[in-house]
Amino acid sequence: MTGEDRVKDCVQDVFVDIWTYRYKLNEAMVVKAYLLSSVRKRIARLHHREHIFSNIKNTDSLEFLFDFSIEDRLIADETTAKKVEQLNKSINKLSDRQKEAIYLRYHQGLTVDQVADVLNLNYQSTKNLLHRAILQLRRDFPISALFLLLNFSPN
Amino acid sequence: MQNRNSYNKIEDFLSDESFQKWVKGNDDPLNWSEWTVENPYRAKLVEEARLWIIGMKVEQTPLTNQETQKALQKVWKKIGRSNEELPFRAIWHHTWFRTAAAVFVVGLATFLYYANLSSPQNTTITYQELVKSDLNGLIEQTNNSDKPQLITLSDASSVLLQPNSKLSYPKIFTGNERKVYLSGEGFFEISKDPNRAFYVYANETVTKVYGTSFRVIAYANQPNVEVLVRTGKVKVSSNQNIRNATLEEVMLLPNQAARFVRKEQLFEKILDITQDKPLLAATNTMEQLSFDFKDIPVHQIFKTLEQGYLITIDFPEDKLKECYLTTSLSDVPLPEKLKIICESLGSNSRYEMNGNYIKIISNGCK
Repeated sequence: MTGEDRVKDCVQDVFVDIWTYRYKLNEAMVVKAYLLSSVRKRIARLHHREHIFSNIKNTDSLEFLFDFSIEDRLIADETTAKKVEQLNKSINKLSDRQKEAIYLRYHQGLTVDQVADVLNLNYQSTKNLLHRAILQLRRDFPISALFLLLNFSPN
Repeated sequence: MQNRNSYNKIEDFLSDESFQKWVKGNDDPLNWSEWTVENPYRAKLVEEARLWIIGMKVEQTPLTNQETQKALQKVWKKIGRSNEELPFRAIWHHTWFRTAAAVFVVGLATFLYYANLSSPQNTTITYQELVKSDLNGLIEQTNNSDKPQLITLSDASSVLLQPNSKLSYPKIFTGNERKVYLSGEGFFEISKDPNRAFYVYANETVTKVYGTSFRVIAYANQPNVEVLVRTGKVKVSSNQNIRNATLEEVMLLPNQAARFVRKEQLFEKILDITQDKPLLAATNTMEQLSFDFKDIPVHQIFKTLEQGYLITIDFPEDKLKECYLTTSLSDVPLPEKLKIICESLGSNSRYEMNGNYIKIISNGCK
Protein backbone atom coordinates (compact mmCIF):
# COMPACT_ATOMS: atom_id res chain seq x y z
CA MET A 1 0.00 0.00 0.00
CA THR A 2 1.34 3.40 -0.88
CA GLY A 3 1.45 6.25 1.58
CA GLU A 4 -1.40 7.93 -0.23
CA ASP A 5 -3.58 4.84 0.01
CA ARG A 6 -2.87 4.53 3.69
CA VAL A 7 -3.82 8.12 4.32
CA LYS A 8 -7.03 7.56 2.37
CA ASP A 9 -7.62 4.53 4.57
CA CYS A 10 -7.19 6.68 7.65
CA VAL A 11 -9.67 9.23 6.34
CA GLN A 12 -12.19 6.50 5.63
CA ASP A 13 -11.69 5.03 9.09
CA VAL A 14 -12.42 8.41 10.62
CA PHE A 15 -15.77 8.46 8.87
CA VAL A 16 -16.45 4.89 9.90
CA ASP A 17 -15.79 5.89 13.50
CA ILE A 18 -18.08 8.85 13.18
CA TRP A 19 -20.81 6.56 11.95
CA THR A 20 -20.18 3.99 14.65
CA TYR A 21 -20.24 6.55 17.44
CA ARG A 22 -22.75 8.89 15.86
CA TYR A 23 -24.97 8.89 18.95
CA LYS A 24 -22.15 9.65 21.30
CA LEU A 25 -20.55 12.52 19.44
CA ASN A 26 -20.46 15.93 21.02
CA GLU A 27 -22.92 18.12 19.19
CA ALA A 28 -21.01 21.28 19.97
CA MET A 29 -17.95 20.20 18.03
CA VAL A 30 -16.57 22.15 15.12
CA VAL A 31 -16.77 19.78 12.19
CA LYS A 32 -13.67 20.89 10.37
CA ALA A 33 -11.47 20.90 13.49
CA TYR A 34 -12.84 17.54 14.54
CA LEU A 35 -12.13 15.94 11.19
CA LEU A 36 -8.64 17.38 10.94
CA SER A 37 -7.83 16.31 14.44
CA SER A 38 -9.26 12.80 13.96
CA VAL A 39 -7.38 12.17 10.74
CA ARG A 40 -4.23 13.48 12.30
CA LYS A 41 -4.61 11.15 15.29
CA ARG A 42 -5.32 8.22 13.00
CA ILE A 43 -2.21 8.84 10.96
CA ALA A 44 -0.17 9.29 14.11
CA ARG A 45 -1.45 5.99 15.47
CA LEU A 46 -0.71 4.17 12.22
CA HIS A 47 2.70 5.78 12.11
CA HIS A 48 3.39 4.76 15.70
CA ARG A 49 2.26 1.20 15.07
CA GLU A 50 4.44 0.88 11.99
CA HIS A 51 7.37 2.17 13.96
CA ILE A 52 6.81 -0.52 16.54
CA PHE A 53 6.56 -3.24 13.95
CA SER A 54 9.48 -2.12 11.87
CA ASN A 55 11.42 -1.69 15.10
CA ILE A 56 12.63 1.77 14.21
CA LYS A 57 13.93 3.54 17.27
CA ASN A 58 13.00 7.05 16.25
CA THR A 59 9.37 7.52 17.17
CA ASP A 60 9.44 11.29 17.12
CA SER A 61 6.00 12.75 16.91
CA LEU A 62 4.45 12.90 13.52
CA GLU A 63 6.25 15.16 11.11
CA PHE A 64 4.27 17.62 9.09
CA LEU A 65 5.82 16.95 5.74
CA PHE A 66 4.82 19.46 3.18
CA ASP A 67 6.08 22.68 1.72
CA PHE A 68 4.20 25.80 1.05
CA SER A 69 4.34 26.74 -2.61
CA ILE A 70 3.90 29.96 -4.53
CA GLU A 71 0.77 31.17 -6.20
CA ASP A 72 2.54 31.92 -9.46
CA ARG A 73 -0.43 33.13 -11.40
CA LEU A 74 -0.82 36.11 -9.07
CA ILE A 75 2.67 37.42 -9.66
CA ALA A 76 2.75 40.18 -12.15
CA ASP A 77 6.32 41.47 -11.97
CA GLU A 78 9.82 40.34 -11.12
CA THR A 79 10.16 42.38 -7.94
CA THR A 80 7.14 40.69 -6.47
CA ALA A 81 8.40 37.32 -7.63
CA LYS A 82 11.70 37.82 -5.80
CA LYS A 83 10.04 38.94 -2.62
CA VAL A 84 7.56 36.11 -2.65
CA GLU A 85 10.25 33.57 -3.34
CA GLN A 86 12.27 34.78 -0.40
CA LEU A 87 9.25 34.70 1.86
CA ASN A 88 8.34 31.23 0.68
CA LYS A 89 11.84 30.00 1.50
CA SER A 90 11.59 31.45 4.98
CA ILE A 91 8.24 29.85 5.57
CA ASN A 92 9.48 26.46 4.54
CA LYS A 93 12.40 26.83 6.90
CA LEU A 94 10.08 27.02 9.87
CA SER A 95 9.76 24.00 12.10
CA ASP A 96 7.26 21.31 11.12
CA ARG A 97 5.09 22.21 14.04
CA GLN A 98 5.06 25.88 13.16
CA LYS A 99 4.20 25.06 9.57
CA GLU A 100 1.38 22.83 10.71
CA ALA A 101 0.05 25.52 13.02
CA ILE A 102 0.17 28.07 10.23
CA TYR A 103 -1.56 25.67 7.90
CA LEU A 104 -4.34 24.99 10.34
CA ARG A 105 -4.74 28.60 11.35
CA TYR A 106 -4.51 30.38 8.01
CA HIS A 107 -5.46 27.75 5.49
CA GLN A 108 -8.06 25.77 7.34
CA GLY A 109 -9.21 28.90 9.16
CA LEU A 110 -9.25 27.28 12.57
CA THR A 111 -9.26 29.46 15.65
CA VAL A 112 -6.22 29.35 17.93
CA ASP A 113 -8.29 27.23 20.31
CA GLN A 114 -9.05 24.70 17.63
CA VAL A 115 -5.46 24.61 16.43
CA ALA A 116 -4.41 23.94 20.02
CA ASP A 117 -6.87 21.08 20.13
CA VAL A 118 -5.63 19.51 16.94
CA LEU A 119 -1.98 19.86 17.90
CA ASN A 120 -2.66 18.67 21.41
CA LEU A 121 -1.18 21.81 22.93
CA ASN A 122 -2.62 24.36 25.29
CA TYR A 123 -3.91 27.68 24.09
CA GLN A 124 -0.94 29.75 25.19
CA SER A 125 1.66 27.42 23.65
CA THR A 126 -0.22 27.47 20.37
CA LYS A 127 -0.44 31.23 20.43
CA ASN A 128 3.28 31.46 21.10
CA LEU A 129 4.02 28.95 18.38
CA LEU A 130 2.15 31.00 15.80
CA HIS A 131 3.46 34.29 17.06
CA ARG A 132 7.06 33.14 16.91
CA ALA A 133 6.58 31.80 13.40
CA ILE A 134 5.28 35.15 12.15
CA LEU A 135 7.99 37.00 14.06
CA GLN A 136 10.67 34.93 12.41
CA LEU A 137 9.24 35.52 8.97
CA ARG A 138 9.20 39.23 9.62
CA ARG A 139 12.82 39.16 10.73
CA ASP A 140 13.85 37.18 7.69
CA PHE A 141 11.90 39.33 5.39
CA PRO A 142 11.16 42.87 6.55
CA ILE A 143 8.79 43.69 3.76
CA SER A 144 7.29 46.68 5.54
CA ALA A 145 10.62 48.42 5.70
CA LEU A 146 11.17 47.73 2.03
CA PHE A 147 7.82 49.08 1.17
CA LEU A 148 8.41 52.19 3.16
CA LEU A 149 11.65 52.83 1.28
CA LEU A 150 10.02 52.26 -2.06
CA ASN A 151 7.18 54.56 -1.23
CA PHE A 152 9.41 57.42 -0.18
CA SER A 153 11.71 57.24 -3.13
CA PRO A 154 10.69 59.75 -5.80
CA ASN A 155 9.01 57.67 -8.36
CA MET B 1 -14.55 37.95 13.56
CA GLN B 2 -12.86 41.22 14.23
CA ASN B 3 -13.90 44.25 12.25
CA ARG B 4 -11.48 44.68 9.39
CA ASN B 5 -11.14 48.36 10.11
CA SER B 6 -9.15 47.48 13.19
CA TYR B 7 -6.77 45.15 11.34
CA ASN B 8 -3.21 46.26 12.02
CA LYS B 9 -1.14 43.11 11.62
CA ILE B 10 -0.50 40.78 8.75
CA GLU B 11 -1.96 37.96 10.82
CA ASP B 12 -5.29 39.68 10.90
CA PHE B 13 -5.49 39.52 7.13
CA LEU B 14 -4.07 36.05 6.88
CA SER B 15 -6.86 34.61 8.94
CA ASP B 16 -9.60 36.39 7.08
CA GLU B 17 -11.12 34.00 4.63
CA SER B 18 -12.78 36.58 2.43
CA PHE B 19 -9.51 38.49 2.18
CA GLN B 20 -7.75 35.33 1.05
CA LYS B 21 -10.39 34.71 -1.53
CA TRP B 22 -10.05 38.22 -2.85
CA VAL B 23 -6.25 37.92 -3.09
CA LYS B 24 -6.60 34.68 -4.97
CA GLY B 25 -8.80 36.50 -7.43
CA ASN B 26 -11.97 34.56 -6.91
CA ASP B 27 -14.58 37.02 -5.84
CA ASP B 28 -14.80 40.15 -3.79
CA PRO B 29 -18.23 40.56 -2.26
CA LEU B 30 -16.88 42.67 0.59
CA ASN B 31 -15.17 44.98 -1.85
CA TRP B 32 -11.65 44.66 -0.48
CA SER B 33 -10.20 46.59 -3.42
CA GLU B 34 -12.09 49.71 -2.50
CA TRP B 35 -11.50 49.26 1.24
CA THR B 36 -7.76 48.96 0.64
CA VAL B 37 -7.30 52.26 -1.08
CA GLU B 38 -9.23 54.17 1.56
CA ASN B 39 -6.11 54.54 3.66
CA PRO B 40 -2.41 54.53 2.57
CA TYR B 41 -1.16 52.75 5.70
CA ARG B 42 -3.80 50.12 5.17
CA ALA B 43 -2.72 49.74 1.54
CA LYS B 44 0.80 48.91 2.60
CA LEU B 45 -0.37 46.27 5.06
CA VAL B 46 -2.68 44.79 2.49
CA GLU B 47 0.08 44.60 -0.09
CA GLU B 48 2.31 42.87 2.42
CA ALA B 49 -0.38 40.42 3.45
CA ARG B 50 -1.03 39.72 -0.19
CA LEU B 51 2.60 38.71 -0.71
CA TRP B 52 2.42 36.40 2.28
CA ILE B 53 -0.61 34.68 0.94
CA ILE B 54 1.00 34.28 -2.46
CA GLY B 55 4.12 32.88 -0.82
CA MET B 56 2.41 30.31 1.35
CA LYS B 57 0.19 28.51 -1.03
CA VAL B 58 -0.87 25.00 -0.22
CA GLU B 59 -1.18 22.72 -3.20
CA GLN B 60 -4.56 21.14 -3.44
CA THR B 61 -5.37 18.47 -5.93
CA PRO B 62 -8.98 18.98 -6.78
CA LEU B 63 -11.09 15.89 -6.27
CA THR B 64 -13.26 14.69 -9.08
CA ASN B 65 -16.79 13.73 -8.35
CA GLN B 66 -15.89 10.17 -9.25
CA GLU B 67 -13.11 10.02 -6.65
CA THR B 68 -15.43 11.34 -3.99
CA GLN B 69 -18.01 8.72 -4.85
CA LYS B 70 -15.43 5.97 -4.74
CA ALA B 71 -14.18 7.08 -1.34
CA LEU B 72 -17.71 7.25 -0.01
CA GLN B 73 -18.40 3.75 -1.24
CA LYS B 74 -15.36 2.44 0.53
CA VAL B 75 -16.46 4.08 3.75
CA TRP B 76 -19.90 2.51 3.56
CA LYS B 77 -18.36 -0.85 2.83
CA LYS B 78 -16.19 -0.54 5.90
CA ILE B 79 -19.17 0.50 7.99
CA GLY B 80 -21.01 -2.58 6.79
CA ARG B 81 -18.11 -4.78 7.76
CA SER B 82 -17.70 -3.17 11.16
CA ASN B 83 -21.43 -3.59 11.80
CA GLU B 84 -21.12 -7.32 11.31
CA GLU B 85 -18.26 -7.59 13.74
CA LEU B 86 -19.60 -4.89 15.96
CA PRO B 87 -20.10 -6.84 19.18
CA PHE B 88 -16.50 -7.94 19.15
CA ARG B 89 -14.74 -5.13 17.39
CA ALA B 90 -16.56 -2.36 19.13
CA ILE B 91 -15.43 -3.52 22.52
CA TRP B 92 -11.86 -3.75 21.30
CA HIS B 93 -12.05 -0.24 19.96
CA HIS B 94 -12.85 1.21 23.34
CA THR B 95 -9.88 2.67 25.11
CA TRP B 96 -11.42 1.77 28.45
CA PHE B 97 -11.66 -1.83 27.42
CA ARG B 98 -8.06 -1.94 26.37
CA THR B 99 -7.02 -0.22 29.56
CA ALA B 100 -9.10 -2.62 31.62
CA ALA B 101 -7.68 -5.57 29.74
CA ALA B 102 -4.15 -4.31 30.25
CA VAL B 103 -4.73 -3.72 33.94
CA PHE B 104 -6.25 -7.17 34.23
CA VAL B 105 -3.35 -8.86 32.52
CA VAL B 106 -0.75 -6.99 34.54
CA GLY B 107 -2.71 -7.66 37.71
CA LEU B 108 -2.99 -11.34 36.92
CA ALA B 109 0.71 -11.58 36.19
CA THR B 110 1.55 -9.81 39.43
CA PHE B 111 -0.83 -12.03 41.35
CA LEU B 112 0.61 -15.18 39.86
CA TYR B 113 4.11 -13.98 40.57
CA TYR B 114 3.39 -13.33 44.21
CA ALA B 115 1.19 -16.38 44.57
CA ASN B 116 4.10 -18.35 43.26
CA LEU B 117 6.41 -16.68 45.72
CA SER B 118 4.27 -17.41 48.70
CA SER B 119 3.37 -20.93 47.71
CA PRO B 120 4.87 -23.39 50.16
CA GLN B 121 7.37 -24.98 47.83
CA ASN B 122 9.19 -21.75 47.29
CA THR B 123 9.24 -20.05 50.61
CA THR B 124 9.33 -22.80 53.11
CA ILE B 125 12.47 -24.76 53.53
CA THR B 126 12.23 -28.25 54.85
CA TYR B 127 14.65 -30.06 57.05
CA GLN B 128 15.14 -32.62 54.26
CA GLU B 129 16.19 -29.94 51.80
CA LEU B 130 18.62 -28.47 54.27
CA VAL B 131 20.20 -31.77 55.11
CA LYS B 132 20.41 -32.75 51.47
CA SER B 133 22.23 -29.54 50.62
CA ASP B 134 24.95 -30.20 53.15
CA LEU B 135 27.64 -32.17 51.42
CA ASN B 136 29.40 -33.34 54.54
CA GLY B 137 28.44 -36.73 55.84
CA LEU B 138 25.90 -36.05 58.53
CA ILE B 139 24.74 -38.07 61.48
CA GLU B 140 21.05 -37.89 62.14
CA GLN B 141 19.59 -38.32 65.58
CA THR B 142 15.87 -38.73 65.87
CA ASN B 143 14.15 -38.61 69.21
CA ASN B 144 11.14 -40.90 68.99
CA SER B 145 10.91 -41.35 72.73
CA ASP B 146 8.75 -39.32 75.04
CA LYS B 147 11.67 -37.77 76.87
CA PRO B 148 14.27 -35.25 75.82
CA GLN B 149 17.44 -36.78 74.51
CA LEU B 150 20.90 -35.41 75.10
CA ILE B 151 23.28 -35.16 72.17
CA THR B 152 26.89 -34.19 72.60
CA LEU B 153 28.65 -32.79 69.57
CA SER B 154 32.29 -33.12 68.64
CA ASP B 155 33.05 -29.60 69.88
CA ALA B 156 31.66 -30.45 73.33
CA SER B 157 28.46 -28.56 72.67
CA SER B 158 25.33 -30.21 73.93
CA VAL B 159 21.88 -30.36 72.51
CA LEU B 160 18.86 -31.48 74.41
CA LEU B 161 16.62 -32.81 71.68
CA GLN B 162 12.91 -32.86 72.45
CA PRO B 163 10.60 -35.73 71.49
CA ASN B 164 9.57 -35.87 67.82
CA SER B 165 12.61 -33.90 66.81
CA LYS B 166 15.56 -34.55 64.60
CA LEU B 167 19.06 -33.18 64.55
CA SER B 168 21.63 -33.67 61.81
CA TYR B 169 25.25 -32.84 62.49
CA PRO B 170 28.66 -33.89 61.22
CA LYS B 171 30.57 -36.44 63.22
CA ILE B 172 33.40 -33.98 63.49
CA PHE B 173 33.13 -30.29 62.75
CA THR B 174 35.65 -29.30 60.11
CA GLY B 175 36.57 -25.94 58.67
CA ASN B 176 35.74 -22.70 60.43
CA GLU B 177 32.03 -23.23 60.69
CA ARG B 178 29.89 -25.48 62.82
CA LYS B 179 26.59 -26.27 61.17
CA VAL B 180 23.74 -28.38 62.44
CA TYR B 181 20.21 -28.88 61.17
CA LEU B 182 17.18 -29.11 63.36
CA SER B 183 13.64 -30.20 62.84
CA GLY B 184 11.54 -29.89 65.94
CA GLU B 185 12.83 -28.52 69.19
CA GLY B 186 16.15 -28.47 70.89
CA PHE B 187 17.95 -26.68 73.64
CA PHE B 188 21.44 -25.79 72.53
CA GLU B 189 24.43 -25.12 74.69
CA ILE B 190 27.31 -24.23 72.48
CA SER B 191 30.90 -24.36 73.57
CA LYS B 192 32.70 -21.07 73.12
CA ASP B 193 34.86 -20.77 70.06
CA PRO B 194 35.20 -17.24 68.72
CA ASN B 195 36.90 -18.52 65.57
CA ARG B 196 34.19 -20.94 64.60
CA ALA B 197 30.65 -19.70 64.50
CA PHE B 198 27.94 -22.20 65.27
CA TYR B 199 24.88 -22.26 63.02
CA VAL B 200 21.56 -23.89 63.63
CA TYR B 201 19.56 -24.22 60.44
CA ALA B 202 15.92 -24.68 61.28
CA ASN B 203 13.26 -24.30 58.60
CA GLU B 204 13.66 -20.83 57.15
CA THR B 205 15.86 -19.48 59.90
CA VAL B 206 19.51 -19.53 60.66
CA THR B 207 20.71 -18.95 64.19
CA LYS B 208 24.31 -17.89 64.53
CA VAL B 209 26.21 -17.96 67.77
CA TYR B 210 29.75 -18.28 69.02
CA GLY B 211 29.01 -19.76 72.39
CA THR B 212 25.75 -19.46 74.25
CA SER B 213 22.70 -21.40 75.22
CA PHE B 214 19.36 -21.08 73.53
CA ARG B 215 16.32 -23.02 72.50
CA VAL B 216 15.17 -23.44 68.93
CA ILE B 217 11.64 -24.55 68.19
CA ALA B 218 11.13 -25.37 64.54
CA TYR B 219 8.57 -28.04 63.86
CA ALA B 220 7.90 -28.61 60.18
CA ASN B 221 4.15 -28.46 60.59
CA GLN B 222 3.98 -25.34 62.71
CA PRO B 223 3.48 -21.79 61.52
CA ASN B 224 6.34 -20.22 63.43
CA VAL B 225 9.97 -20.80 64.17
CA GLU B 226 11.05 -19.62 67.60
CA VAL B 227 14.46 -18.96 69.06
CA LEU B 228 14.72 -18.29 72.79
CA VAL B 229 17.95 -17.14 74.31
CA ARG B 230 19.09 -18.31 77.68
CA THR B 231 22.59 -16.88 77.83
CA GLY B 232 24.92 -14.92 75.62
CA LYS B 233 24.23 -13.26 72.31
CA VAL B 234 22.45 -14.85 69.40
CA LYS B 235 21.89 -13.65 65.87
CA VAL B 236 18.90 -15.01 64.02
CA SER B 237 18.34 -14.42 60.35
CA SER B 238 16.24 -15.78 57.55
CA ASN B 239 17.82 -18.37 55.33
CA GLN B 240 19.22 -16.64 52.25
CA ASN B 241 17.95 -19.43 50.05
CA ILE B 242 14.43 -18.15 50.39
CA ARG B 243 13.48 -16.31 47.27
CA ASN B 244 12.61 -12.67 47.86
CA ALA B 245 13.95 -12.96 51.36
CA THR B 246 14.56 -9.53 52.68
CA LEU B 247 17.59 -10.57 54.56
CA GLU B 248 16.43 -9.91 58.05
CA GLU B 249 18.47 -10.19 61.16
CA VAL B 250 17.50 -10.12 64.76
CA MET B 251 20.03 -9.79 67.56
CA LEU B 252 18.93 -11.43 70.77
CA LEU B 253 20.15 -11.14 74.31
CA PRO B 254 19.30 -13.36 77.29
CA ASN B 255 15.58 -13.73 77.90
CA GLN B 256 14.77 -12.36 74.50
CA ALA B 257 13.27 -14.37 71.69
CA ALA B 258 12.56 -14.16 67.99
CA ARG B 259 9.50 -15.53 66.35
CA PHE B 260 9.66 -16.07 62.61
CA VAL B 261 6.21 -16.11 61.06
CA ARG B 262 6.75 -18.49 58.18
CA LYS B 263 3.78 -17.43 56.12
CA GLU B 264 4.74 -13.79 56.12
CA GLN B 265 8.47 -14.35 56.22
CA LEU B 266 8.79 -11.88 59.02
CA PHE B 267 10.55 -11.77 62.33
CA GLU B 268 8.94 -10.69 65.50
CA LYS B 269 11.25 -9.85 68.35
CA ILE B 270 10.12 -10.59 71.89
CA LEU B 271 12.01 -8.53 74.41
CA ASP B 272 10.93 -10.46 77.45
CA ILE B 273 10.13 -14.14 77.23
CA THR B 274 8.23 -14.06 80.52
CA GLN B 275 5.74 -11.62 79.00
CA ASP B 276 4.91 -13.94 76.12
CA LYS B 277 2.63 -16.77 77.18
CA PRO B 278 3.25 -19.28 74.37
CA LEU B 279 6.99 -18.84 74.70
CA LEU B 280 6.91 -19.08 78.44
CA ALA B 281 5.06 -22.34 78.12
CA ALA B 282 7.75 -23.62 75.78
CA THR B 283 10.51 -23.07 78.28
CA ASN B 284 10.97 -25.89 80.65
CA THR B 285 13.14 -26.86 83.55
CA MET B 286 16.23 -26.03 81.54
CA GLU B 287 15.45 -22.35 81.46
CA GLN B 288 14.00 -22.33 84.93
CA LEU B 289 16.86 -23.97 86.70
CA SER B 290 19.76 -21.92 87.90
CA PHE B 291 23.21 -23.26 87.31
CA ASP B 292 24.79 -20.65 89.50
CA PHE B 293 25.92 -22.46 92.60
CA LYS B 294 27.11 -20.89 95.79
CA ASP B 295 28.59 -23.23 98.37
CA ILE B 296 26.31 -26.05 97.32
CA PRO B 297 26.94 -29.78 98.02
CA VAL B 298 28.09 -31.52 94.83
CA HIS B 299 25.38 -34.16 94.99
CA GLN B 300 22.82 -31.39 94.83
CA ILE B 301 24.53 -29.88 91.82
CA PHE B 302 24.39 -33.28 90.11
CA LYS B 303 20.70 -33.50 90.96
CA THR B 304 20.11 -30.15 89.30
CA LEU B 305 21.94 -31.32 86.21
CA GLU B 306 19.90 -34.53 86.17
CA GLN B 307 16.73 -32.48 86.30
CA GLY B 308 17.79 -30.08 83.63
CA TYR B 309 19.25 -32.47 81.11
CA LEU B 310 17.14 -35.47 82.01
CA ILE B 311 20.21 -37.55 82.46
CA THR B 312 21.38 -40.02 85.03
CA ILE B 313 24.54 -39.18 86.87
CA ASP B 314 26.24 -41.99 88.70
CA PHE B 315 28.72 -40.72 91.29
CA PRO B 316 30.44 -42.10 94.39
CA GLU B 317 28.12 -40.59 97.00
CA ASP B 318 30.27 -41.42 99.98
CA LYS B 319 33.40 -39.89 98.62
CA LEU B 320 31.71 -36.65 97.57
CA LYS B 321 29.60 -36.21 100.70
CA GLU B 322 31.60 -33.36 102.11
CA CYS B 323 32.26 -31.56 98.86
CA TYR B 324 30.79 -28.08 98.39
CA LEU B 325 31.19 -25.92 95.29
CA THR B 326 30.75 -22.33 94.31
CA THR B 327 30.60 -21.98 90.56
CA SER B 328 28.62 -20.54 87.69
CA LEU B 329 27.77 -23.12 85.08
CA SER B 330 24.91 -21.42 83.29
CA ASP B 331 26.73 -20.33 80.17
CA VAL B 332 28.47 -23.58 79.27
CA PRO B 333 27.32 -26.83 77.70
CA LEU B 334 26.92 -29.99 79.76
CA PRO B 335 30.34 -31.54 79.01
CA GLU B 336 31.92 -28.27 80.07
CA LYS B 337 29.84 -28.22 83.22
CA LEU B 338 30.97 -31.73 84.11
CA LYS B 339 34.54 -30.88 83.31
CA ILE B 340 34.47 -27.79 85.52
CA ILE B 341 32.95 -29.78 88.38
CA CYS B 342 35.51 -32.55 88.04
CA GLU B 343 38.39 -30.08 87.95
CA SER B 344 37.06 -28.42 91.08
CA LEU B 345 36.81 -31.74 92.84
CA GLY B 346 40.42 -32.62 92.32
CA SER B 347 42.98 -33.84 89.85
CA ASN B 348 41.90 -37.44 89.95
CA SER B 349 38.25 -36.71 89.13
CA ARG B 350 36.87 -37.26 85.65
CA TYR B 351 33.62 -38.14 83.94
CA GLU B 352 32.47 -40.64 81.37
CA MET B 353 29.53 -39.92 79.19
CA ASN B 354 27.43 -42.47 77.39
CA GLY B 355 24.30 -40.99 75.98
CA ASN B 356 22.05 -40.03 78.87
CA TYR B 357 24.19 -41.85 81.34
CA ILE B 358 27.09 -40.11 83.00
CA LYS B 359 29.54 -41.68 85.34
CA ILE B 360 31.69 -39.61 87.66
CA ILE B 361 34.92 -41.16 88.75
CA SER B 362 36.40 -39.44 91.76
CA ASN B 363 38.28 -40.05 94.95
CA GLY B 364 36.69 -37.16 96.74
CA CYS B 365 37.57 -33.50 97.02
CA LYS B 366 40.71 -33.62 98.95
